[in-house]
Amino acid sequence: MKTPKFMRADWFGPFAIVVVASVGITIFDRPFLSPFNIQILLLATAVNVVVAMSQMIIIAIGQMNLAIGAIGGLAAVCFAGLMQVWSFPPALAAVAALAIGAAAGLANGAIIARTGVSAFIVTLASLSIFKGADLGITRAQPFYGIPASVKAFGNATMFGPIPWLALPAALVIAFMWRLLYRQRIGRYILAVGGNASAAELSGVSIAQTTLWAHGLSGFLAALAGVMLVGRLQIGQPSIGDDWLILSFAAPVIGGAVLAGGHVSVFGTLFGVIIVAIITQALVIFQIDPYFVQVVLGLLILWTVGVNRLRELRLAGG
Amino acid sequence: MKDSGAVRPHEAMTSGARARFAGAVLTNEFGLVLLILLFGMLFALGTRGFASPFNLFTLGRIMAINIMIGYSMMVVIVTGGLDLSVGAIGVCAAMFFGWLSQRLGLPLVVTIPGALAMGAALGAVNGQLIVRSGLHSFIITLATMSVFFGFMEFVTRAQAFRGLPPAILAVGRMRYFGYVSPLLLVSAGVGLGLSALYRLTPLGREMLAAGANPAAAELSGVRVKRVIVQCHMLAGALAGIAALMAIARTGAAIPSMAGDLGQDWLLPAFLGPVLGGALLSGGRVSVLGAFLGSALVSELTNGLLQFRVGEFWVQTYLGLLLMAAVLIDLARRKLVARLGVAP
Repeated sequence: MKTPKFMRADWFGPFAIVVVASVGITIFDRPFLSPFNIQILLLATAVNVVVAMSQMIIIAIGQMNLAIGAIGGLAAVCFAGLMQVWSFPPALAAVAALAIGAAAGLANGAIIARTGVSAFIVTLASLSIFKGADLGITRAQPFYGIPASVKAFGNATMFGPIPWLALPAALVIAFMWRLLYRQRIGRYILAVGGNASAAELSGVSIAQTTLWAHGLSGFLAALAGVMLVGRLQIGQPSIGDDWLILSFAAPVIGGAVLAGGHVSVFGTLFGVIIVAIITQALVIFQIDPYFVQVVLGLLILWTVGVNRLRELRLAGG
Repeated sequence: MKDSGAVRPHEAMTSGARARFAGAVLTNEFGLVLLILLFGMLFALGTRGFASPFNLFTLGRIMAINIMIGYSMMVVIVTGGLDLSVGAIGVCAAMFFGWLSQRLGLPLVVTIPGALAMGAALGAVNGQLIVRSGLHSFIITLATMSVFFGFMEFVTRAQAFRGLPPAILAVGRMRYFGYVSPLLLVSAGVGLGLSALYRLTPLGREMLAAGANPAAAELSGVRVKRVIVQCHMLAGALAGIAALMAIARTGAAIPSMAGDLGQDWLLPAFLGPVLGGALLSGGRVSVLGAFLGSALVSELTNGLLQFRVGEFWVQTYLGLLLMAAVLIDLARRKLVARLGVAP
């Protein structure tokens, strides 16, 4: 019997794990599916999914972006600083922060495309540049003067348990899906990631596609930073320090191929939800919080191993 | 000119000598030495503190640690891979050392090899996972960085070991001639050892061959997978040495000594070898270059702090330095290729 198409999709495996895990934890711990807990899960997911998408677009093109945490942190302190020090209205400050993020990403992309130096080294250097700017602007002190409207957006809910922060996250998911599966630039990104020379021979400009992908990645990282300012209610300079592992874990769990050319938007979404559920399960079952790091790492190893086996089996016949 | 094709003997000789001279001047190592001297003079003239014996002593200690971290990454870069878990391995080795000396009260002759063995064992885990899965070392070591660090925090409950044997702390305080830290001599000694490994021993040649072209190396009888595992074990042991030096400097084994997940070691780890001219695709290495590269970075950090130009911006300057170094190296290679001189 042939398995139905949807069961072979990248997102199905992570989705099944989410369902099984939710049911399993609910059996042991009733309040797991309570509105309050769902709200906490959604809050954690909303920001993290934007972080994961920021890395996913770079994985799609077959590169990596170590600087997303630093870009997110820089955008976050710029957002908070503009509102506190120069009393910008929140909307204008948010636009400026997103522009800074996009510009930072474009700078990465331009250097990678122009020089051909590996994305790893370029983004390692820019990670340091942006993180230093973050610390230099703030002198490692948080900005506390966040307007009430921003705080409300970061913590209020709309229908029952759904937080307002889920709205930008949902828009990002819809946008990414449309971009990757319906728009030319998205197809170009996947084509360059799949086989750069073939893409170039077919008339795709690798330089422009790289620029686009990195600009978008920087924009999304900045968006996640701005969302976090709303949620944490302060412009913390350490925002983004802990994004690196998660940003790779979620797309990889979602079936992304690290060599590029193949990513899954909904797989990545469920990857983020799995990480959130694991973090909560460890709290519910009173397992040491330090164990989260271990589990995250093992999860990456496990999924890349499984993906690799699947790849080998597909290649074998 | 009608006889431009024919070159007279003495002309050929001078142009050959000029090419050799250009080749020597255009090497990375020469450029680094020049930069180190230049910045050294600038800082010595521009600040009062830089050239003081005490500052040179503390600079030497940090330099020694950064050089060792750079070596640790360098021996993996040789294979065309990388090791993001270098900091996590270092912290694990440091905490293991603290546990052995403080809890079990073992002497240094046991605890120092114990810490290095811990580093090598974690390196072996990385190496085995990489060669068995066939995946790129980036994703494997990204995952093990999280696993190693999380496990260390879980076991130690994020508590530091502060009751360490006085002997290792004394090494950190010791000075020769008023300003040379013995740690710097350890780094120089390990560098000589690594140079000998790559130049003189079959194992070192095999490591280079496995990095330059794994398929060709395999066909020539090199057991590439085993060599890659050995490179990662060596990297782990070197990270262990760096961690012990950091303990000698601070006097305690602290879980946060390399930042969250050991990320703070990543920049020094790559700066040294990359400035030193190592190829990220593997197969080429310069131990002297890595030594000088790390030395330059440490000198710049110290000098900038002495100048008191925005202490918080130092990380930005280091990032710009890495970017500039990579771009200058690119330009230098183009120039070398155009002049037709062997670098």
